[in-house]
Amino acid sequence: MNEPSTIDDLLDSRLMAHLDRLDVVSKKIFAGKIHGERRSRRRGQSVEFADFRNYTHGDDLRFVDWNIYARLDRLFLKMFLEEEDLSLVIAVDASASMDFGTPNKMQYARRLAMALGYIGLVNNNRVGLFSFSDDRIERLTGLRGRRRTREMGQWLLNLQPQGKADFAAACRAIALGGQGRGVLLLISDFLFPEGFEKGLRSITGRGFDVYALQLLAPEEIDPARHGVIGDLRLVDSESAAEVEVTASSAVVQQYRERLDAHVASLREYCVRRSIAHQVVETSLQLETLLVDYLRRRGLLA
Amino acid sequence: MMAVPPSILAVDWIAPVAGAVIAASTIPPLLALYFLRLRRSRRVVAATMHWRRAAEDVRANAPFQRLRLSLLLLLQLLALGLVALAIAQPQVDLGLGGAEKIALLIDRSGSMGALDGGAERGTRLADAKRRAVDRVRALHGGGLFAGPAPSIMVIAFASEATVLCPFTDSSAQAIAAIESIEATDELSAISGGVELARSFAASGGEDGTASSSVPAVLEVYSDGRIGDLDGLSLRDGERVIFHRIGGEDSPNVGIAAIAVTRMPESPGEVRVFARVVSWSKSPTKTDLELRVDGRLVAVTPSPVELGAAMQDAATGALLPAQTQAVFPGVQVPAGAVVEVRVTADDLLPADNAARVVAPRLGGLKIALVGRGSFVLRSVIQGLSPASFETLTPEEWNKRVATDPLTPDAFDVVVLEQVTPQSMARGRYLIFGSAPTGTSIIPFGTKEQVVPRSIRSEHPLMQYVNLDDLFVASMAAVAPGSDSDVVVEASEGPMILTLSRGPLTLVYVSFDPIDTEWPFQRSFVNFTANALAWLAAGGLPAADEPLSPGAVAAGRLPAGAQSPSVRVSSGVTAPLSLLEGGRFALGPLRRAGTATIAWQGGSQSAAPTSLAYAVNMDCQAEGRLDAADQLQLATNSVVAQPSRAASQSVWPWLLLAAALVLLLEWWVWLRRT
Repeated sequence: MNEPSTIDDLLDSRLMAHLDRLDVVSKKIFAGKIHGERRSRRRGQSVEFADFRNYTHGDDLRFVDWNIYARLDRLFLKMFLEEEDLSLVIAVDASASMDFGTPNKMQYARRLAMALGYIGLVNNNRVGLFSFSDDRIERLTGLRGRRRTREMGQWLLNLQPQGKADFAAACRAIALGGQGRGVLLLISDFLFPEGFEKGLRSITGRGFDVYALQLLAPEEIDPARHGVIGDLRLVDSESAAEVEVTASSAVVQQYRERLDAHVASLREYCVRRSIAHQVVETSLQLETLLVDYLRRRGLLA
Repeated sequence: MMAVPPSILAVDWIAPVAGAVIAASTIPPLLALYFLRLRRSRRVVAATMHWRRAAEDVRANAPFQRLRLSLLLLLQLLALGLVALAIAQPQVDLGLGGAEKIALLIDRSGSMGALDGGAERGTRLADAKRRAVDRVRALHGGGLFAGPAPSIMVIAFASEATVLCPFTDSSAQAIAAIESIEATDELSAISGGVELARSFAASGGEDGTASSSVPAVLEVYSDGRIGDLDGLSLRDGERVIFHRIGGEDSPNVGIAAIAVTRMPESPGEVRVFARVVSWSKSPTKTDLELRVDGRLVAVTPSPVELGAAMQDAATGALLPAQTQAVFPGVQVPAGAVVEVRVTADDLLPADNAARVVAPRLGGLKIALVGRGSFVLRSVIQGLSPASFETLTPEEWNKRVATDPLTPDAFDVVVLEQVTPQSMARGRYLIFGSAPTGTSIIPFGTKEQVVPRSIRSEHPLMQYVNLDDLFVASMAAVAPGSDSDVVVEASEGPMILTLSRGPLTLVYVSFDPIDTEWPFQRSFVNFTANALAWLAAGGLPAADEPLSPGAVAAGRLPAGAQSPSVRVSSGVTAPLSLLEGGRFALGPLRRAGTATIAWQGGSQSAAPTSLAYAVNMDCQAEGRLDAADQLQLATNSVVAQPSRAASQSVWPWLLLAAALVLLLEWWVWLRRT
């Protein structure tokens, strides 16, 4: 996969046509900032009937049910579900560890974020993008409508993976970012030396419907098949720390067990906090991920 | 019996110390270098946290994990080990156990002409020669570290064995000898070859090979259908390796016998009898063709049907199916070659045809010199001679005095109690008086004599029974060195032959008239045999088919010039004549015809060619399914799988080491 240089590289027209039929779904119902196309717990002005209540002074007479008044001689007010917009926050890990693998994890993250953001924009949701790398957090918020697609794409193209990621700080910034409650997508490899628990803990309980998409390159999942074998000096892409390893089958097996344990602990942590977790191998077709995997997980409909 | 177990391989180490030194001096330094200069390739990964923990876990459980499954180190160790092994010079002995001498006995009998030898569908003999050559090359593999190669002797055997190459250390000489082996259609007998190998092994080779008490290893290349195996036993320490040549199921149809008789009522016609045999294990049928001098004259009106070859219930031997065929009333001139041929296509063409020379139309020219007794005259006239003259001794002496070549004008001169003045040349059947001027020395008479020793296999004694012969008186003679006693009594020879230059005679040392022999059938048979034998120059008549390997010998008419011989293959060569027009042609090893032609002769109307027919013995050589083992008198030799020989392994080890190094280099390149 080549380095994307244009927005078309991130999201081609064929995939775009598929995505036009999809929408972001939240398992939770949030209060939006403006009228949107989504149900909320507020009673509002949609056509979907919700309940009756007694008329009180000052209520809008347009919502009085005159038929009931004719039968019971009492004023009742018809209440309807309010349709509100949805806040979609996409956080992309842009640390150096994401610049690894074939297909490259960072490029895959860019394309995935672009596709999900596009779905949000098309469905008139509020879309906000965050990236975190090298102790910096960059954001692009307040996007709505299809016409913001190019702006979002350009922002993603400008992302450069570098340095170490402070996942906890990034999550804290997102939680306090005032984006409103909605769907939060975390796109990362979750290979944080200091752990992922602190970061995830900071965004739970804040009303986000959180999806953790863990990107792993094929070389990370099965290193022996991709030539990581023999006497090696392994260099950490973020810290530049070196580890001398004789990658025998026993060591590779041990590595795989370690990675599996890491993924399992992340999944268990997410399940306990109602966070949806999905491991994504970057060799997986993006369209398959969106149309098949994420629809099955309930993120898209 | 020391049958070689094919699966047991012995390994000899020529330089084990050198190999051990090399291994000890290179492998430990390699390991040390590996630890000291372990080269790790640098590789960037997303995160090292899992790798670090994995390596720590494994290292904690296996302190020497660096050595474990390090492919490069393993390949280097393997290459060094192979080199050390190669320097130790192992030699795999495929069953010879360091034999000093090997005699290759190659069967070239008729059955080895079957066309199922090898992938190219050549003959079995060609396959045997190819495998023998491979064997010689393997035994003399040579090379820098090659050990001593055994001496090789090459013997070809059929009805008799021939040494083509005595024990030699020259593989080129042995291979040339193998390549020179020519096919025959003879019977197969190996005893002579084994005896030759034993003799040469005991006496040493012509090239100075020392004699040895260790017997030679006998390697037999054959289809196993050898006639005299049951009379062969091995000596102590003698070993036989049987290289089986040929397939298992090879059906074959052939002519086992042929005979021609002239029809008494029409002497120009003959009746041809043929016996057809089939070694096929299923019923078969074939047409028969009758050819005269190569010209097709008749075909059987319907195919001849043959059953399947059957196992003999008593002996277990396979017996071929057989049937008779007759071609009646065929016009055949005297001396023509009559051939019966099966049209079925099989793997052995040599036995598909049998030939015979048609007997002459008339009889012999015979002169009876002496008293001209009624008995002898009657017997001779009863044999339908072409001409028959009765002469007195005086008339005979006068004629000979006038023309010394007079005896050559007759096929046989019968002398009855007569001693002619001159017996320098001619063919004589003599009764009674001992001949003069020969090596036979008379010394009186003996009375009341009975035969004590009779050579019944002699042509004179065919169908002759002398059990009741009692001779009241016979001449006592001492045979000379050129005499051959056929019937002998305690008192001396009763019947003998003599052959000296142009003179051939059969001498009966008693007068048959004084015995009861003339009243017995055997007297007529003896007289007929003697006349035919003498007429042929003391040799079998030309119209009897010969077996492959036989020598055709006979006599050409006086005055025959520029004789030449032409065989079935079309080759024509001049024929050398011995004294008295006698010749010896052969041995004729291939089935077919050999025709002698000449110019001139004492009589212008006489024929100027003489044909000999040679027929393969289909009964003995026609069975083509190769035997699994050689069943000797007291033991058996199982056929050995086809393979090369004892061989030095070091070249292969060096090659393997080079390949391993190549692989190691490739792996190293991939990692850097």
